Amino acid sequence: MTAMFQSFQQDMARHLRDPHHTMRPAGVPARRMAVYNEMLFNNVCGFIDTCMPLSRKLLGDTAWRCLCRTFYRDWPLHTPWFRDIPREFVRYLQEGNPKQPLPRWLPDLAHYEWAELAVDVMDVPRPAANAHGDLMAEIVVLNPARMDLHYDWAVHRIGKQHKPRKSMDTHLVVYRDADDAVQFTEVNAATAHVLALLDVQPMTGTQVMQHIAEHRQHPQPEQLLAFGATLLKQLQEQDIILGTLP
Amino acid sequence: MNRPLSGAGLGFRRELIEPLKHSVPNVIDFFEVAPENWAGLGGRSAKDLRHFTERYPFVCHGLSLSLGGPASLDTQLLHKTKAFMKAHGIQLFTEHLSWCSDESHLYDLLPIPCTQEAVRWTANRIKLAQDILEMRIGIENASTYIAPPGSDMSEAEFVAAVVKEADCLLHLDVNNIYVNSQNFGFDALDYLNTLPLERTCYVHVAGHYVEPDGLLIDTHGAEVIDPVWHLLMAAYERIGGNVPTCLERDFNLPSLNELTAEVMQIARLQAQAPRIKKVA
Repeated sequence: MTAMFQSFQQDMARHLRDPHHTMRPAGVPARRMAVYNEMLFNNVCGFIDTCMPLSRKLLGDTAWRCLCRTFYRDWPLHTPWFRDIPREFVRYLQEGNPKQPLPRWLPDLAHYEWAELAVDVMDVPRPAANAHGDLMAEIVVLNPARMDLHYDWAVHRIGKQHKPRKSMDTHLVVYRDADDAVQFTEVNAATAHVLALLDVQPMTGTQVMQHIAEHRQHPQPEQLLAFGATLLKQLQEQDIILGTLP
Repeated sequence: MNRPLSGAGLGFRRELIEPLKHSVPNVIDFFEVAPENWAGLGGRSAKDLRHFTERYPFVCHGLSLSLGGPASLDTQLLHKTKAFMKAHGIQLFTEHLSWCSDESHLYDLLPIPCTQEAVRWTANRIKLAQDILEMRIGIENASTYIAPPGSDMSEAEFVAAVVKEADCLLHLDVNNIYVNSQNFGFDALDYLNTLPLERTCYVHVAGHYVEPDGLLIDTHGAEVIDPVWHLLMAAYERIGGNVPTCLERDFNLPSLNELTAEVMQIARLQAQAPRIKKVA
C-alpha cells in the first residue's frame, strides 16, 4: 500500500510535469503551487538553453518552450547529474518521437551543440605520447577527449541565414586540445574512416592505410600510404592525434 | 593537504575561479561544492577544482539524492560521491531534507509531508546513505513554499525526528528558517529551539528574493539581510561559533570582494559567539 505522504508526492510530481492538464494536489494553494511549477521548469530549461543557444534561436522561443515542456513531461530522466539533462534532451529529440512539427535537422544540430559540452567535461586523461614518433611505423595515439560525429545534415553551417532543405552527409570531429579548449573540425569520409579504425584497435599508420586499401580494393596501395602519412601529420598538428605510443 | 574544516566558507562556482586563482581572500577557510556539478568531470573544470581542493578543505553538499523520495535510493550516485570525496580529501557530506524525484528526476527540492511514516522512510534512507558513505552525514532543513497536506507534526519537529531517528547530523540553514517563518507565519526562534542543535555539523547563510506579493523565494541571489544575520547570531549563541559556516550565492553573482565582505561578517559573528564544545 502506498503511504499517504507518497500519494501526495505522486500527485505533486504528476502536476509538476504537466501543470496545464493535471489537477493541483489537494490542499495546495494555487499561488504556492505556481512557485514550484515555475521554479522547476525554469531550472530544467536553464540547462538546455545554455547548452543549445542556436537550436533555441532557430526554433523560436514559443516552439522551443513547448518542446522543453513535452521533454520534461514525457521523457524519463534517470540521471542525477545536471550536465546530462541536455544529453537526455538530445535523446528525446532522436528517440522520443515528439509530436510537435520540427525541422528535420534539429536532432543533429542539438546533438552537435551538446557535443561541445560533452567534450569539454569528458573525463579522460591525456595519455602519454611521443610527439616526434613515426606515425606510419609506430602505434598511433589518438586524443581520447574527442567525439567523431557523423550527421545527415551539415550542422556546422546551419544558422539564421542557412536552414538547409537538403541533407548532406557530414563528418565532424569535436575534441579538446592541449590547452583544454574545445575545437571543431570538418573531415572527409576517408579521414573519418581512418579515425574509426584507429579507435577500434591501436595500430600503425601503415597498418591503418593497408586496411583502407583492402577495404576499397585500391589498385595502388602505395599512393594511399603517401596520402596517409600526410593526413596523419595533419591530424597531429590539429591535436586530434597526439603522437605515437612511447 | 588536509586542513580541518572550520571557520567561514564560500560556495565554489565556475564564475569565481579566475578571481580566486588570482588570490583567495584570507577570510575564506573552505569551499563548498555540489557533487552533482563536479564529480566525474574531466578537462579544465577538473583541473581547476583540483587546484583548490589541494589547497583548501571542501564540503560536499548534495542536491539529487532525493532522501525523502518514493523511488529506491540512488546508491550509484552515493558510490560516485564517495569516490569523488575520497579523490579530493573531502570529509563532510550534507543533503537536504526533501525529495526531487520519483522514478524520474524533477531537478529541484520539494517538501516532504511531515508524518511519522515519512520520518521512518526518510531516516532509513539516510542510514543507508551513511552506511555507503561510511560516515555520518548532515541533513539540511530546506526552504518550502507549501505546507504539504496531511502533516501530523510541525516542520521543525519533523527535522528533529528524522535527525534523531537516523542518528545523523544537522546541517542548519538559517536563511531557510527565515524564509519559511515569513512564508508560513511562525516564529523563527521557536523553530530553531525545536531542532537538535547539539548535532549541528554545518551552517548555511544566504540571501533570498521577495516577490511583489511578499512571498519569499530562496534564490541565493541577493545579499544576506539583517534578520537572517540575527538568526545566525541566535544560532551561534546556542551552538557556539566554532561550526563551519558557508555563504551560498548562486545567482546575480557580485564581485568576489562583495562576497568576501559577507564571508567576513560570518567570521565576525563566529568570533563574537561563545566557544561551545560539541556533543555530537
